[in-house]
Amino acid sequence: MNTYDWGLIWENAPLLLHGLLTAIEVAAVAMVLSLAFGLGLALMRLARAPFSWIAAAYINVFRGVPALVSVIWVYFGVSLLLGVSFSVFQAGVIALVLLYSAFLAEIYRSALTAIPRGQREAGLALGISAGRVFRSVTLPQATKIAVPNIGNMFIGMIKDTSVFTVIGLLEVVRVTQNVVSTTFQPFVLYTAAAGLYVLVAFALDLLFRTLEKLMSTPQQGRVARAVNSRRRRQLEVIASGA
Amino acid sequence: MRQDGSPVSGPPVAELRGIRKAFGSKEVLHGVDLTVHAGEHVVIFGPSGSGKSTLLRSINLLEEPTEGSVKVLGVEYGPGLEPGGPRGKAVDLRRCVGMVFQQFNLFPHLSALDNITLPLRSVKGVGRSEADERAAAALKRVGLLPWAASYPSQLSGGQQQRVAIARALSLEPELMLFDEPTSALDPELVGEVLGVMRTVAESGMTMVVVTHELNFAREIGDLNVFMEDGRVVETGGRELFDHCTSARTQQFIGAVL
Repeated sequence: MNTYDWGLIWENAPLLLHGLLTAIEVAAVAMVLSLAFGLGLALMRLARAPFSWIAAAYINVFRGVPALVSVIWVYFGVSLLLGVSFSVFQAGVIALVLLYSAFLAEIYRSALTAIPRGQREAGLALGISAGRVFRSVTLPQATKIAVPNIGNMFIGMIKDTSVFTVIGLLEVVRVTQNVVSTTFQPFVLYTAAAGLYVLVAFALDLLFRTLEKLMSTPQQGRVARAVNSRRRRQLEVIASGA
Repeated sequence: MRQDGSPVSGPPVAELRGIRKAFGSKEVLHGVDLTVHAGEHVVIFGPSGSGKSTLLRSINLLEEPTEGSVKVLGVEYGPGLEPGGPRGKAVDLRRCVGMVFQQFNLFPHLSALDNITLPLRSVKGVGRSEADERAAAALKRVGLLPWAASYPSQLSGGQQQRVAIARALSLEPELMLFDEPTSALDPELVGEVLGVMRTVAESGMTMVVVTHELNFAREIGDLNVFMEDGRVVETGGRELFDHCTSARTQQFIGAVL
């Protein structure tokens, strides 16, 4: 009974990896949607009343709701209430978006307010429309500030998918539970599950660091320089006066 | 009067009438009039907090006056006068008026060249390659073409301000506003920026300059305006610096020059 069968990890690797893929898919779709809703909420929060009140109320409520409560509420509550039935995948995405758009709104708000007022004024003084100033001047600079925090949120999202086991989403923890129920090796399998989460967190950290470098000016790192190489070469030709 | 004694005869480019501006309950401009004629170089000077910058910023409506009339190139933009009358849109006004800021306000995420191509493309609707050409020409005029690929963080303050001037000029404005353009610079770098501004003045550009550089003001100022406490104390041509009538103007000029 005391012997750990580490070989189980290898035997069940395809199942576990499939669970991980599901977790990443749910989190990725939720992240894209949360970025959009979060930005909208941040803009509302910075607008005049009553928009700012509505956004503040939303943010303060949903920041405090645990993912487990959110998903049960969406999957069992809302579907009963509205008579629509979500798939487990959809319910997971909605549950995350509800929570994380509140967090991302705060991340965007602080990043937007960190941009000096003179940036917007310079854009407006040049005769650029307010919308274009936001899109081409304020937002790119704010996004650069927000990227490290967005990365942290993404890692949090992936970990939060673990509670979606309660609605039967076949993510890492659900898969692990299934395998444990037939092999009775919880220590081994949950260690494997933890390892997978850590690996993903590590990979995401790398990805977001690359993004940060990509958005730094001047661009740092090989990837960033490669991405911008065409414009950089053009600029260098222009600078040489040719 | 121009410095060479010839009268400024151009049509008015900007006319401010009875400009009042209050921030909350504190009024910082108490009814200021100013007319800027085509080709004229107006210098506004005075102690800190006198409302110089606020007055300048109300010309392009970065500060919306609380009361009064702002007329630029014959179009009324002010909040005062004729309720319901035809009023221009701020974005149209700003497309005819360039501005240079104390803190340069270059866009840090764009190269020097792209700081100029962004407004060219979004305001003038110029295509990518033509925008590159025109931006390069603008940089060349301020002697910074070799820095086209550099980012603002890689440039000195003086270079950044020259890019900012090139950026505003590339849009071919009818009027250029300068808001203490050398106040944030190391003393060593002031000269290069004033040099560029001198060239702009010599090209016949209509200019309104808020500055503490009274030697420069004496050199280019056709109309010099001394402000204090939200009011114009005294105006005059070049002779103002030697023969002002107000004791307060004399005291200020004596302390600065």
